[in-house]
Amino acid sequence: MNSLTRRIFTLGAISALPLTMLAPPVHAQDADAVKIGLIAPVSGLYARFGQVMRMGAELAIEDINAAGGIEALGGAELELVVIDSGDTTEKAKAAAERMVAEYPDLVGATGAYLSSFTLAVTEVTERAKLPVLTLSYSDLITERGFDYIFQTSAPAGDQAGIAIPTVLDLAEATTGTRPTTVGIITDNTAASLSSVDAMKDGLLEDNNLELVVDEVFTPPLADATSLIQQLRARRPDLVFFLPTVISDSKLILEKMNEFNLDIPVISFGIAIAEPDVLDTISPDLLEGVMSAVGNYAFAGHEELIKRVQEKYGEPWMNQNAISTYGDMWIFKQALEDAGEANREAVAQALRDMDAGPSPYFPGGVLAFDETGKREGAGLTVIQWQDGVPRTVFPEEIALSPAIWPTE
Amino acid sequence: MTEFQILTESILNALVAGLLMGAIYGLMCVGLAMIFGIMKVINFAQGDFMMMGMFVALFFFSTFTQQLVGDFVGPYIAVTLAAPIMFAVGYLVHMALISRVTGSRTAKLDGEGHYAQLILTLGLSLILQNGAMMLLGPYMVTIATPLSSSAWMITPIWDDMLLIFINKARGVAAVISVLVIIAIGLMITRSRLGKSLRAAADNPEASTYMGIDVNNAHRIAFALGIAITAVAGGLLATNYPFQPFVGLEFVIIMYAGVVLGGIGSIIGPFWGGMTIGIIQQMSTLVLPFQLQNSAIFVLFLLVVILRPQGLFGRVSERT
Repeated sequence: MNSLTRRIFTLGAISALPLTMLAPPVHAQDADAVKIGLIAPVSGLYARFGQVMRMGAELAIEDINAAGGIEALGGAELELVVIDSGDTTEKAKAAAERMVAEYPDLVGATGAYLSSFTLAVTEVTERAKLPVLTLSYSDLITERGFDYIFQTSAPAGDQAGIAIPTVLDLAEATTGTRPTTVGIITDNTAASLSSVDAMKDGLLEDNNLELVVDEVFTPPLADATSLIQQLRARRPDLVFFLPTVISDSKLILEKMNEFNLDIPVISFGIAIAEPDVLDTISPDLLEGVMSAVGNYAFAGHEELIKRVQEKYGEPWMNQNAISTYGDMWIFKQALEDAGEANREAVAQALRDMDAGPSPYFPGGVLAFDETGKREGAGLTVIQWQDGVPRTVFPEEIALSPAIWPTE
Repeated sequence: MTEFQILTESILNALVAGLLMGAIYGLMCVGLAMIFGIMKVINFAQGDFMMMGMFVALFFFSTFTQQLVGDFVGPYIAVTLAAPIMFAVGYLVHMALISRVTGSRTAKLDGEGHYAQLILTLGLSLILQNGAMMLLGPYMVTIATPLSSSAWMITPIWDDMLLIFINKARGVAAVISVLVIIAIGLMITRSRLGKSLRAAADNPEASTYMGIDVNNAHRIAFALGIAITAVAGGLLATNYPFQPFVGLEFVIIMYAGVVLGGIGSIIGPFWGGMTIGIIQQMSTLVLPFQLQNSAIFVLFLLVVILRPQGLFGRVSERT
């Protein structure tokens, strides 16, 4: 083999990494419509999540337009512009640059699924003064002093703070014993690490939990043996599991079953409750698994859930669909308040918004504080029951009562 | 359990997991090495052909082998059926596309055709990924078998205090991988076809003078390489969920395995893949879990620096 071949082989091995590129942006051509961006992964490892986000946004825009559009703008319709953020932070940032360059008439956007992507995307949108709504959890999102980011979910740290006592109370009420040891298995994405940081910075101690297994991995995993070996050796009372990729959920749960570990699993995030999970994991292994998520279809959304099932064939409506659905309604409210299709005016309307309780987000009200956090934002806890993830907390919006996994 | 027992069990389970994963990696690497070793073609679409093999195996499994023979044997029959399909795909792709930038035609091309090969296989990779995405959607799927969540347990010492878990799906996949490697080794060294493949690899010009159809040998090598990697993908799919972009997760491992095993060697990359599997798992005993894949590339760099011909390559074949 000559030197040229060798050089190309070595260079090629490195350049094979960024092979995935993007589906083209999808948009209609109506010049009078008010354009809202959805920047989310619709290709690569996280494509499924972006696809579900798109469903929620499309459905909301359909409802808003059917109800007469934006009244303050003479009934102007909303139009969704979908931009593929790809599956890495580098691609997400490049997609954001493309979005602000190619669509100067966008008045706002929502995205970008993973907190890591949202952090990268908003570095660009902040400079372009484009208001962005996000469900991403990372505490960093609203800690950077940005003016054009609005976080609809409770940040990861706050979510863990609400979820942990709830779970411990449920365990004590069911088993008579309050768990005292915990193992944490988390991937190293921004939202997961934000939750874990909050736990280690006092939440575990405040709840009298001793951390006996603490493992961080890079997704996607090839094999979970060494992680689960740690659980087998230390036998915590509870496992806090923070994945963002469905394949990691499968590998961890199957490996726990393989190692005969019957430890209640409390997850954080949506990767364990996506419909695809059922295509990869036996429902038996999922039964009882709980997850704390920023949002999820809850009591009062039954009609919406039915429409998602009928229109898209989805078995249920998860946080990504309900949140982008809610985001579009927030933009409608902001446009009505602003009275003009201008991104600066929309951003100001979001800052000034005081629209009372939201029908599409748990807890709090539709108002944002000076950092961009939604005031009083809560969370939902979901649980796999009979092959379906159902909202079990807060009780007032629960679709089913919670059951302790080892009950 | 004492700390010593915990450590011993951790080492043994990581080693077993590494061996099982390594056997599948090894098979993937041999598929790539077959193409590179014989044709000197750098196939960047290899991971995506693997993805295609996974979906073909899933198709056979979900349409009839599951109903016919059940969840335990069905996956492996499906993988077996996917192999000739992927061989045919490889054969046709070579005939229609790859042959235009390889073999005798490369004399007229810049860089002995490597630039054209690079662009062609990168293009194929994009088409396969996005084509699968359009046709099949971004859904995560798997060839569902109860074997993937159960294990054979061995208690070599200390009774139940020390257990070694051999994942059944990965165990069966590893055994099949080794059998396939033995069959390929025998085919390459003992059969007439193997001799013509080796001759076409060593000296295409002399082989032509000896009456060997070099273009046909290359076509068979390409098709075999695709089929072998597809079988590895199908075996992986019994215990690992996949989607249209799964090839990207493994293509770098395939290249690293080929370099570790020795560029130019066909069976050496199996040991390259096996080494990667073992390092990937054993490194978690001493390094943070996040550095699992970094450990592979530290080893990769060490081999490139200290033994550039790879673990099983000839001195004349350096990275």
